[in-house]
Amino acid sequence: MTGPIVDLSSEATPREVLTEVCIIGSGCGGATAARLLSEAGHEVVLLEEGRDLIGPERTQRDAAMYDQLYMDRGGRASHDLSVSVLQGRVLGGGGVINACDVVPPPDGVLKHWASKFGLADYAPVSFRPFVEAALQDLSASRIPESLVNLANDKLRQGTQALGLRGEVMMHNRVACRGLGTCLIGCPIHSKRNPRMVALPKAFEAGALVYTRARAVKITKATQELKEVSVRTLDAGGYREEGKFTVRAKIVIIAANAIASAQLLLRSGIGNEHVGEHLTLQPQLSVIAMFDERIAAFDGVPQSYAVTEFEEEDNAEFGLWGYRIEAIMGTPGIVSTLLPFSGAPAMAGMAQYDQMAASLLLVPDAPSGRVEVARNGRLTIRYEQREDHRQRLRSAVETSAKIYFEAGAREVLVPTMPAVRMRSRSDAGKASALSLAPATAPLISAHQQGTVRFAPSERDGGADPDGRVYGTNDVYVLDSSGFPTSASSHTMTPIIASSRMLTTKLLARI
Amino acid sequence: MSSVRKDEAASEGLFAFLSRRRFLKASLVAGGALLGLGGGGLLALRGRAPSVDGLHVLDDHEYRTLRSLVEVMFPTSELIPVDATAMDLPRAFDGFLAKEPEHNVTDLRKALVLIEFGPLVFDRRLTTFSRLDVSERSAHWDTWGVSDELVRRQVSIAMRKFFNLVFFDHEEVWPYIGYGGPSMLRRAGGER
Repeated sequence: MTGPIVDLSSEATPREVLTEVCIIGSGCGGATAARLLSEAGHEVVLLEEGRDLIGPERTQRDAAMYDQLYMDRGGRASHDLSVSVLQGRVLGGGGVINACDVVPPPDGVLKHWASKFGLADYAPVSFRPFVEAALQDLSASRIPESLVNLANDKLRQGTQALGLRGEVMMHNRVACRGLGTCLIGCPIHSKRNPRMVALPKAFEAGALVYTRARAVKITKATQELKEVSVRTLDAGGYREEGKFTVRAKIVIIAANAIASAQLLLRSGIGNEHVGEHLTLQPQLSVIAMFDERIAAFDGVPQSYAVTEFEEEDNAEFGLWGYRIEAIMGTPGIVSTLLPFSGAPAMAGMAQYDQMAASLLLVPDAPSGRVEVARNGRLTIRYEQREDHRQRLRSAVETSAKIYFEAGAREVLVPTMPAVRMRSRSDAGKASALSLAPATAPLISAHQQGTVRFAPSERDGGADPDGRVYGTNDVYVLDSSGFPTSASSHTMTPIIASSRMLTTKLLARI
Repeated sequence: MSSVRKDEAASEGLFAFLSRRRFLKASLVAGGALLGLGGGGLLALRGRAPSVDGLHVLDDHEYRTLRSLVEVMFPTSELIPVDATAMDLPRAFDGFLAKEPEHNVTDLRKALVLIEFGPLVFDRRLTTFSRLDVSERSAHWDTWGVSDELVRRQVSIAMRKFFNLVFFDHEEVWPYIGYGGPSMLRRAGGER
């Protein structure tokens, strides 16, 4: 063993591991819990399916990075391929591959959770200290003007010309050099994410992580000593090779709302709420073509947001409405979003450096489901609701108007068939978008809600402390517990929630 | 043919949508088109594919289908004068599949059958995808993405996802799209 990070694709597989706390998943939820528990003197072992990919290994190349940094090699999707489900699979989890957006849960959402779902600990006055601590963990700050690139500035120009509300966003970068590949890993580690903050602190305090270690089943969940069955993976993370068991008094699952529910379902643990109430927050991109070179792939890809239409205190759902943010990626991933094949696709990509793009972030109702078949296959069942389609159409229209105000030559809605808008008067075409299944490249980066926290097991899969109903000290400490969308971006809410729930756990053990 | 994996916790991948009887349903779209020809007729219609060495998962016919597909997905043009067929993207796909779970490979195979017999199944033409000339093949493939049939749209999405990601990750393409490559390399090379 060479240190706190044990890569089981190259190190010998342990026969058995005995520990006080086993944490499954090393992202925002798991790393935060690992840090607090180990700093308090508890013995912690983390399991991470991905590996520790750092520095120049983050090559900024599409094919290799989606293969290594994302679950299912970037191919994870909802049951009918309507929504591409992006989920990190690397030491540090989603914080390694996100766009660094720091958006705390709005008070309206927290009040909604407290009043409608009985989660008193999330009431703003109680939860705010944990949000503040999360912001400190993230070294959160407003993105400096010097890092607002031309693509983001175009979105801002149009927003301001229309008199709409918007803002330069908060982020968790330090000493950022605007390398532009946040979505496939920062090679200079500017992100103050779990890999750079919580995990090193946890390691200093004695925590250990096994990478290329896939937790496949939890047994004896009602007994004092739980068992986690683990499969080791090969170096690429493709094949299961060895296996071993971790025995732990406390098991914390923080593997993301899809994988956490998947593990519980595979293990036959929990009640009928496990796997239910999934929100995917499906997002759609809109692409604007300009006459001049934009080079949106250079610099911080996401620094400006249109917040005018965001509703933070919807009576039924909490976060509602929509939000528009600039975005850009490397050529490979951008090309997958273009709604063409053949010559039109090539013509579109030939203008890659003249593109600016935005993401339409539209919160959804908790209506999806995670299923695991008898043979172990995962299905993410999700039907887009009409209310979501309607807000998406409105967001498309707004985005188009903004870009035309900013001087766009053309706005492209990447549905199949594509909708091309040549002037502001075309923006109304958005209302005719069918958005039928598998006609729009919807993306989910913020899965939540599959093991809903609730004071009664009639209403959720885990109690307000995160303990899975029907178990003895098996917890979920990630976005699985959120009853509705916590925020337009989930990094800060997950860290804050994990901090709060781990603090409560520490008071009991 | 043997290097696919069968993992206990295998999950949903890019081609998993063709499971759950969707393939059978899609194949019945054209009524008795496939049944009418029978197995022998289908094989005759498909003809022989050139032998390809060194494949891990794909067979010669599947390789040919993908090569025919790549040719229409990435036509060489003045805008991007790069020959996609020279990149051997089907072989990259074969390498990708070699690391995929067994059920994903099975589903992908169904997708390739659908593509190859697409002209017969969906257009009721007595020919196959690889046998169409380039312009006919291109026109036929264009209908997949906007089809009323969900399964054809899904196949279109899955193919675009994989092949676009790989094609535009090739350095030869970048000069024609205004991209200078990974910023670390550019900056190390003295840009700015």
